[in-house]
Amino acid sequence: MLEYFAMNYKVSTALKKNVWAYIVGPSFKIIEAVFDLLIPLFMKAVIDLSFTSDPNAIDPISKALGNFISLFGTWVPGNPSLSHALVGGFIILLMGIVGLATTMVCQYIAAVAATRTGTDLRDALYRKILSLDKKTVEKIGQGKCLTILNSDSYQVQQGVLFFIRLGIRAPFIILGSLVFSFVLDWHIGLVFLGIVPIILFIVFNVMRKASRQYLVIQSKLDHLSTQASDNLDGARVVRAFSTMDFEKGKFANSTADYQKEAIHVSKINALINPLTFAIVSLATILVVLIGGFDMSNGVSFLGATLQPSTIITLVSYLSQIFQTLVLLTNLVTIFTKSIVSWKRCDELFSLSPSVQERKDAKVLTIAKGEKLFDFQNVSLSYEEGANKALSDIDFSLGKGQTLGIIGGTGSGKTTLVRLFERLIDATEGEILYKGEDIRNYSLEALHREIALVPQKSVLFKGTIRSNMQMANPSATDSDIALALKCACASEFVDKYDDGYDHEVEEGGKNFSGGQRQRLCIARSLIRNPEVLILDDATSALDLLTDRTVRENIRSTLPDCTKILISQRVSTIKDSDLILVLEGGKIVAKGDHETLLRTCDVYLETYQSQMQKGE
Amino acid sequence: MTMKEYLLRYVGKQKHLILLSLVSVFVFLLANLSLPKLVGLSLDAIGSIVDGRFLLAIDFPLLTIYLSVGLVLAVLGVIFDFIFEYTIGIMTQRIVKEIRDDVFAKICAVPIKSIDERKHGDLLQLEIQDVENIANGLFSVFKQLVQGVLSILITIVLMFTVNWILALGIIVLSPLSLFVSKFVASFSHRHFKSQSALMSDLNALSLESISNLETLKALQYEERSHQDFCARDEKLREEGRIAQFSASWTNPTTRFVNNTIYCVIGIAGIVMILYTASYPILGMTMGNLTSFLSYTNEYTKPFNEISSVAAEFETAQFSFRRIVSFLNGQDDVDEGKESLNGPVEDIVFEDVTFSYEEGQHLIEHFSQEIKKGQKVAIVGPTGAGKTTLINLLMRFYDPVSGLIRFDGIDGRSVPKKDLRGNFGMVLQDTWIFSGTIMENVRYARPGSTDEEVIEACKEAHADNFIRTLPHGYETVVSAKSGLSEGERQLLTIARVMLAKPQVVILDEATSNVDTRTEKLITDAFDKVMEGKTSIVIAHRLSTIREADLILVLKDGNVIEKGNHTELMHRHGFYYDLYTSQFR
Repeated sequence: MLEYFAMNYKVSTALKKNVWAYIVGPSFKIIEAVFDLLIPLFMKAVIDLSFTSDPNAIDPISKALGNFISLFGTWVPGNPSLSHALVGGFIILLMGIVGLATTMVCQYIAAVAATRTGTDLRDALYRKILSLDKKTVEKIGQGKCLTILNSDSYQVQQGVLFFIRLGIRAPFIILGSLVFSFVLDWHIGLVFLGIVPIILFIVFNVMRKASRQYLVIQSKLDHLSTQASDNLDGARVVRAFSTMDFEKGKFANSTADYQKEAIHVSKINALINPLTFAIVSLATILVVLIGGFDMSNGVSFLGATLQPSTIITLVSYLSQIFQTLVLLTNLVTIFTKSIVSWKRCDELFSLSPSVQERKDAKVLTIAKGEKLFDFQNVSLSYEEGANKALSDIDFSLGKGQTLGIIGGTGSGKTTLVRLFERLIDATEGEILYKGEDIRNYSLEALHREIALVPQKSVLFKGTIRSNMQMANPSATDSDIALALKCACASEFVDKYDDGYDHEVEEGGKNFSGGQRQRLCIARSLIRNPEVLILDDATSALDLLTDRTVRENIRSTLPDCTKILISQRVSTIKDSDLILVLEGGKIVAKGDHETLLRTCDVYLETYQSQMQKGE
Repeated sequence: MTMKEYLLRYVGKQKHLILLSLVSVFVFLLANLSLPKLVGLSLDAIGSIVDGRFLLAIDFPLLTIYLSVGLVLAVLGVIFDFIFEYTIGIMTQRIVKEIRDDVFAKICAVPIKSIDERKHGDLLQLEIQDVENIANGLFSVFKQLVQGVLSILITIVLMFTVNWILALGIIVLSPLSLFVSKFVASFSHRHFKSQSALMSDLNALSLESISNLETLKALQYEERSHQDFCARDEKLREEGRIAQFSASWTNPTTRFVNNTIYCVIGIAGIVMILYTASYPILGMTMGNLTSFLSYTNEYTKPFNEISSVAAEFETAQFSFRRIVSFLNGQDDVDEGKESLNGPVEDIVFEDVTFSYEEGQHLIEHFSQEIKKGQKVAIVGPTGAGKTTLINLLMRFYDPVSGLIRFDGIDGRSVPKKDLRGNFGMVLQDTWIFSGTIMENVRYARPGSTDEEVIEACKEAHADNFIRTLPHGYETVVSAKSGLSEGERQLLTIARVMLAKPQVVILDEATSNVDTRTEKLITDAFDKVMEGKTSIVIAHRLSTIREADLILVLKDGNVIEKGNHTELMHRHGFYYDLYTSQFR
């Protein structure tokens, strides 16, 4: 199972698949960026050629561009100024069109590469999560797993997208504009150089403050959500105590709290635009002022005198720098998030399941009555040095027998169940299954033979049929019918007009607890298991139905070894062997009669449940 | 009320803030947009075109005036922009608080039926996400739409003051921006919507498998589940590619439109300067050209922002519609005016018929008297409708026909609050809210002292475990964590102890409780019933045998009633039930 999955998969594995896109995409984008930088210069050249009296006063750049424009011929004979203007306009228009086309190529490459990376990453992450065991997943937290799988992978995808789209373009435009401004008038160039860090500083600082404040807001919102959810769950109690007004007051306090923080963040955010506008306005005024002075002082550049066209061009560059800076700050936010997500994904990839499986499957058949499970002084602790969840578990169970396990919460019942299924390995001692070390079987083989109905009954979104076929894809309708009947589930399933196609909502929400449990039992029966484990799987059934189900199982699957875990004595009292668990230890074992005589805890439990019953 | 009326009510209350924000955005835009004009004027103060050639003639005093005015305008713009953005933030949050409180109040006011019928997640969504959507919508309508439209209008006016011919030219070109940005926005919006639908689909699938990992493994379903995931992920990739690509058109197409307008206006401007000498009506100067080139930028920018608002606006509208339809729902009717003569003693069901859904009668023609101090046990298999009787007694639901009399008075003519005050209930689904243990128990009788709460907890056998907690009675617990199921049950019993009601209603089912705690719970149950009328969904033999009256329910109907001895003699359903359990 899942073996083709490379153990050393990382985010970079997915990223490397699209290296071509990181080079080809930005290359196309650069063409547009170059045009964007050239357009103001062309405009300047047209102005210079039209309005400068002395040809020697035209600077070499405008001259060169003028020569280039002349290559397209003279459109209006006898009026060179007009001709230059029209041809120049045509060239600028052409550059816009070509720029748009090349950018589109880049955007498409970016979309393809990014979504491909995202999908590859998600597939690999999902596979990884499925390969982990429950404890490992719980240690990370289910919520975090889910976030890594869905949000973090998307964040990495966005990182790729924006890297290709803007990663090269934005710095290129800013640098280009700066360089040109220095060439045109280095005094003004200095102004430009000055505003770049100031704007960056303002934007980043405000954003950092705002994002910190967003965390506060999020926690307030979580609090609101908890309160609203409490109120819904307790709708009956709230009404029973007639405390509606009290609840409303409490909630209004929390919304006021939330409001305060939300207004605070909008105050912080309201700073960004005004401050950056201020800087840009100031810079514009400085451009005109310095330009005016330089012109009146006859400052020359590249051997020509400074022209008003230069000021027009510089104002254009200023607005280009400003717009790109805004993009750049967004870009940095996206990259920062992506890198955090990247790390989180790799963290998940680096985990390995605690149960390692052997590939050489063993399939053994043993006769009825022979030892099926043999636990030899088994102990288990979930973490090194931690308290033992189970200690010195020692018993054996014959094929076809019924084992009952009873104990309170925290007695280790569910941990023991995990060992039967090898969802976890023992820390000490040995577990033999059919006389062989349980670790010598493939997990697939074990899970095929051992069916578990867990404490929390789990149904999956789909139909009744799809849920039944999860256990056995080839199950026919008559197989399903038999299993449902045996689990006492046909009494409600048969009432549905759509029969086995009846919808199962997420988590089986549209069924009652008892119905869910019966469907889960039916699902486990459908694979005709060698061992059937019912982990408190009938707790929501009334005693009558509970007993009928057990009897049905006994008569339908006579050779099946049954392991029953319960807190009810009545459920397990007919077992061949009963283990009484407390604090991870077996405090007594034997059959019902023996235990009544020898085990006080058992007797006490029995009496409290059966009070004056017999 | 209609959506419009609600909107007017919420927005109307903030009219002062709205006025302030409108004034400040106007001042801000006027100041900000006048700057290009001043730059143009300054440039003309530096020199002008004479005979088709540029002539330098700097008028320093004039230049200084223009630039000083520019500086003042910039400062004004900054201040008013801040006021504007801050004001709409405050306004949005005030409206949001009001909507949220209203939704909460409505949840408290609707009949239990409306809550039972809807998924809790759905109602929670109304309270949290939908309100957030409205906040985003309101904020962007003001920020982008109002500012955008105003900015376009002011720019047009200012452009006309500079040069009316070019201004007309820009207006002629504006459908280009409008068309392009609208097209891009609607196209990408559609694909983003289906992308997010696919994403939440994937999210649901993975949530299901992650939370049921062990079942998945036990069923050997990993491989099939992964295939399923990959197939859906592939669909997401296809849709995502189109969505991302179409969204990425925004910037390049804007730049293209800007470049085109820049070029057309620039060239037209230059040509006009060339001919101004011969045709003075053109009235174009170098400074005017500079102003115009800036205005083309300012003019096209808002078009994109306005069209990007469309998506948020749509989401907000959808959310607001959901909220309004919930707020318009029927409130719980409580027409009761009569008051009870002291504590309830006698309860009489008179020919009660009840159904949750029309046509499917759960209880038919049920009549029964319960006298003061009686112990009533309700027994029956799972799903027999045992809780229905409790729903009727507490008036969470009312009978379809027939009535329930409390001391001779029809329950419907008594205010629910008075009636419910007579009952104390412990249900199987315990309800603990986020707060301290003290707060949770005191809930039964707000205003009771710490000592009374502790006394109640002692009576409910909860005191012992509470004292072992790190912060004792001040330990913070929540709906989902902090206590075991059994401990929660003890706390709900303590609540009843504190409330000291006339009648107790108990559901004895104790699942997932270890034997020691179970003993505590059953003892507490016995204590709470002492000397009171009690109605118990019974699971314990002792309760059943000591009951004055046993109601045996099957498929919603009371099929047998009597005390233990009578029912055993009848050899009916009760007999079967009893023997199967305690054989």
